[in-house]
Amino acid sequence: MERRKHGWHRVFNGVNLSTFFVVLFVGLPLYWLIISSFKEPPALGASPPQYWPNPWTGANYSQAFKQYDFGSYFLHSVVVTLVATALVLFLGTMAGYALGRLPMRGKFSLMVTLLMISLFPEIAVVAPLYSLLDTLGWLNSYQALIIPYTAFFLPFAIWILRNYMLGIPKEMEETARIDGAGPIRTVWSVILPMALPGVFTAAIFTFTAAWTEFLMALTFNINLKTIPVGISTFGSANEVPFGTIFAASVVAVVPIGILVFIFRRFVISGLTSGAVKG
Amino acid sequence: MTTISGTAEPVQATTPLVGRPDVNRKRLARLGWAFSAPALIFVAAVTIFPIIYSVVMSFSNVTVTGNGTSLNGFTGNNYSIVLRNSTWHYALGFTIVYTAITVLVELVIGTLIALVLQRLTAGRGAMMALLLLPWSMITVINAELWLYIYNGVYGVADAILNAVGLGHPNILGQNTSAIIALMIADIWKTTPFVAIIVLAGLIIIPGDLYEAAEVDGSSGWSTFWRITVPLLRNTLALAVLFRVLQAFGLFDLPYVMTNGGPGTATTSLAILGYKAIFQNLEYGTGAAVATTTALLVLLGCLVSLRAFRVQVGREGT
Repeated sequence: MERRKHGWHRVFNGVNLSTFFVVLFVGLPLYWLIISSFKEPPALGASPPQYWPNPWTGANYSQAFKQYDFGSYFLHSVVVTLVATALVLFLGTMAGYALGRLPMRGKFSLMVTLLMISLFPEIAVVAPLYSLLDTLGWLNSYQALIIPYTAFFLPFAIWILRNYMLGIPKEMEETARIDGAGPIRTVWSVILPMALPGVFTAAIFTFTAAWTEFLMALTFNINLKTIPVGISTFGSANEVPFGTIFAASVVAVVPIGILVFIFRRFVISGLTSGAVKG
Repeated sequence: MTTISGTAEPVQATTPLVGRPDVNRKRLARLGWAFSAPALIFVAAVTIFPIIYSVVMSFSNVTVTGNGTSLNGFTGNNYSIVLRNSTWHYALGFTIVYTAITVLVELVIGTLIALVLQRLTAGRGAMMALLLLPWSMITVINAELWLYIYNGVYGVADAILNAVGLGHPNILGQNTSAIIALMIADIWKTTPFVAIIVLAGLIIIPGDLYEAAEVDGSSGWSTFWRITVPLLRNTLALAVLFRVLQAFGLFDLPYVMTNGGPGTATTSLAILGYKAIFQNLEYGTGAAVATTTALLVLLGCLVSLRAFRVQVGREGT
């Protein structure tokens, strides 16, 4: 493998060329989403399509907030997602610690069951949950989504956290115990700081899942719309306002895009050590 | 990194300071249950009980009353209606074929992308970040984006098809092209996820294996099949499992893009169940659709239990 590469081979080799195609494959639809959000209505409906906005306009963005109340959809999504993520992390860290480091009988079957629940199709539980929420008078409320999201996204978070906990040296607890720390303080001040990468990973996975969830949000909260439900109801039967939809989409994609970009190390390690190490 | 055993015995044995091992072990087990109880009870209450209720509902005569539903007596009717229903047959077949094709294509393209990125010397982090964008995107947004791309008047796909001499086909208005269009939208969004998982699997394959193969004069192609693929098996199995079970619940894309149409061409099991329950208020049959779907997923889980075991049983190895 010591062949020296020089001249144009350094730039135009198979790997770089293939990478370029990967970038096109992933990037072109994203490019289309972003530039379309800046087009005026005639340009959006132009045939053949306009490959560069001319002129640029921010009108779609103000339209999304003024005509369609996208601001409140955004707020609903933020509240539901943040509260559900916080609950998942709190309950998941404790359970992940127990399942990863304490000698419980039946741990194995429990982990398998949790894993299966995390992959269960939502349609199987939506109807009974709907009647339950209806009976409680909780339809169209924050808790109508926070509770199911927490329950459905907990198993995967427990799984990630448990796998991180396994990798922390066993001596940590012993040292803490000799120093006279109780179990709760041990978890809080000794284990948690060491498991922080795992907590980040679980956080970003839960956040993404809650931010993008559609079926339950659609059935339980049609009067307290989250972003996906809100965007799906833009426009009317005769007219789909793509410009407004894409403007709202860009606003919805940017926060999570930034989050994922900052924490990409954790997302990838979640997919690698948390989920894939065979 | 895996020198630490997941079980507690070795430590107990070497640290007599903390008391008799058996007593200590019991105490720690109690602590474990106390710590995990809140999470387990929460999950059970919100997921397992509704599943049971759904099963009960699917075996009941359900009447819609003024404020909700009431269950009157046992019946197998819902199932005989569903099992004889031609739309259900179609939805089942569609969901299976859709899942099989999309997952297969994603696996092939995802592996190719991973192999490229593995050889990339600079900018791999940026590429990973780019790949994570479709993964983190709201599926409804993905659906709206492709709806725009497929539009028969001003869509890019239409312009491209026209440019290569295929005229202006009504992409989402014909059965086959609508199904393919959905698959493409799905493949675009989920292939990066597969690519990242496979890349992670590639990275942990020891480099000296490749060197040894090269010394033995193995060609790139046979190295791939004889070293890379076997060592990737667990990784690929998990990626497939995740994607299959996820694809089986297909709902968001057809709901937004085609509403299950044209006709019933893109009606997945989840779309069928949703329409039965929330649009036609056929709770009993809807629950039967939901339960059969869940049963199939459960079956899929049991068939791939070995893949799960490999994952969960990591500490045992």
